[in-house]
Amino acid sequence: MDILWFVIFTVLLIGYFALEGANIGLGMLLPALGRTQEGRDRIVAAMAPFVLAGEVWLVAVAGALFGVYPQAEGEVLFGLYPLVVCLLVSWIVRDAGLWFRRRTDGPAWRAGWDRMICLGSWGLALSWGAALTALATGLSIVPAALAGAAALAALLAFHGRAFGSWLLPGGAAGATTGTATGVPPGAVPGGTTTRSLPGPAVATGAGRGAAAPAVSAVLAAAPAAVLLAGAAPWLLEHTAPADTLNVLSLMILPCAPVMAGAQVWVWRTFGPRSAADRFPSFF
Amino acid sequence: MDVLDLARTQFAVTGSLHFLFVVLTLGLAPLVAVMQTLWTFGGKPVHERMTRFWGQIYLINYALGIVTGLVMEFQFGLNWSGLSHYAGDVFGAPLAIETLAAFFLESTFLGLWIFGWHRMPRRLHLACIWVVTLTAYASAFWIMAANAFLQNPAGAVERGGRLVVEDFGAVPTNPMLAMALPHVIGAALLTGGFVIMGASAYQLFRRTAEQEFFTTSLRLGVAVASIGTVLAVGFGYAQFGPVGELQPGKFDTPLAGVGLGFMIMIGHLLQLVVLFVLLPVIRWLPRWRWAHPIVMLMTPLPFLAAILGWLAREAGRQPWLVYGRLTVADAMSPGLTPAMITMSLAAFTGVLGLLAVVDYLLIARLVRRGPAAATLGAAPLPPPERTPALTL
Repeated sequence: MDILWFVIFTVLLIGYFALEGANIGLGMLLPALGRTQEGRDRIVAAMAPFVLAGEVWLVAVAGALFGVYPQAEGEVLFGLYPLVVCLLVSWIVRDAGLWFRRRTDGPAWRAGWDRMICLGSWGLALSWGAALTALATGLSIVPAALAGAAALAALLAFHGRAFGSWLLPGGAAGATTGTATGVPPGAVPGGTTTRSLPGPAVATGAGRGAAAPAVSAVLAAAPAAVLLAGAAPWLLEHTAPADTLNVLSLMILPCAPVMAGAQVWVWRTFGPRSAADRFPSFF
Repeated sequence: MDVLDLARTQFAVTGSLHFLFVVLTLGLAPLVAVMQTLWTFGGKPVHERMTRFWGQIYLINYALGIVTGLVMEFQFGLNWSGLSHYAGDVFGAPLAIETLAAFFLESTFLGLWIFGWHRMPRRLHLACIWVVTLTAYASAFWIMAANAFLQNPAGAVERGGRLVVEDFGAVPTNPMLAMALPHVIGAALLTGGFVIMGASAYQLFRRTAEQEFFTTSLRLGVAVASIGTVLAVGFGYAQFGPVGELQPGKFDTPLAGVGLGFMIMIGHLLQLVVLFVLLPVIRWLPRWRWAHPIVMLMTPLPFLAAILGWLAREAGRQPWLVYGRLTVADAMSPGLTPAMITMSLAAFTGVLGLLAVVDYLLIARLVRRGPAAATLGAAPLPPPERTPALTL
């Protein structure tokens, strides 16, 4: 049972970096990829349906940490105190930007919240990078954390870029040639417009369609996966007693198929072929 | 203030903020679901417009519910690691069930509902808001179960200096939960009803073009607030039984006693007004312009009562975090420094306080502008014509 819950915990953390990592990365690149307000609107509208389904993986990670590893929860979160505060404030600022940007008219309002989305996304990436480094080096916040922060930020930005070119094959500028002419998304080298999203798929000449964001998702989740592999013995030592795990299994496992099904539904409904441009976005 | 006071202040401020938004979420979610059900099966345009307008108010409010909730979830580990260390084997389970089985589904289906207008079959889209509503109430159940455990640690025994599960069945059947949950649900419906009443009264008072819309809405608000006040007051008094037995003297401290006293006063006032004044005249109320400012002025009262009730429940447990087992002082993270708690208190209360103000202004703005300004579920643009793409 403790192995099963370790696997669930790992899946949740990897799922967070693979899925929400894409939204964070795209948020980081928002001003770079969407140079006009129209371009930023298209990027945010394309990623918006994935945000609620993505960030909830971290809520689940924290809940599982409390339920499955109560003896580790306080130690980990308290040990990373300033980083956890930074991470939460960044998360709040990013979410506020998404929820508020279209709530009043006026270019300054929306541009201002777009800056908050970018700032919050950078804060999330950097504090996660520093936190993972600190965890790997035994909860000491060392100078290496700076390098770790930069490395994870680069990985998430790369992932966000791949996700963006998969979602918006015609680029942020609005050229919809990719879907309109039936060319597979991701195979279009961004047309010839300068504001397109060439993306890693094109840059490396590998992959079509969903292959590029899938590869970048693996890269984005790799640091957390490596860390968990290393921390496995320590975490397993801190597992809650069997009685607690039985309760969790009984209450949560029956919901797992619905949870997975709803996530798949999100990705099928709002993927690149959903002609999102026709639908006024709430974010 | 010392470190402990600051940590308690942080929990009280962020918890109160969270509750202000959550209580309205719980009140509005079922109403929006009912409106959309009427629209889906009845097809009246006014029900579609009501779903979109009140749905958008529900969503603007929801945004702050999420971000304040994030701080609540992580705050245990930051400032109160002694709690998970001592009671996490039992207390962690309802929290984990809430996040994994309830909130995970709520958030995913909420995303499908917000962005799924016109992009999925109408009945599936309707099912999404019902799943969101049911999981929101499931969340309330498990969070209240976790809180009831702190009030009365049933189902757990101390072994090796820590609480372990003895009978988990006692956690969801805790007597400190049984009457408190319907009380909170009643308070939520009362709040949701009053927000709808207050906003409708404003629009009717200003004699805008939306008379039919807000006449229907005002009557719905009165009906829902009536149900809410019966539940809230009835189950409020019903709690005195288990509280007197399990936490004698709970309301003897000034803060808990005064909080409780004012909450009961507001509860009775609202019940009197809703059941004996507004409900009997529900047919004419939309046309009685002189009554509308009074309804508008009463709208903040359910929020105030909710905060006071929460304050009484939590302050009355002091000095215990887990009643009779673990004190708040012992639960504080060992090694928490004044610098750490000052920084996090300033960051969380500053950012969340500011966003809460912005959020309420945005809600007020939408109320002022009326249903025409709701962008949620706006009609899609016509599909592009199949002309050859521009050659680049």
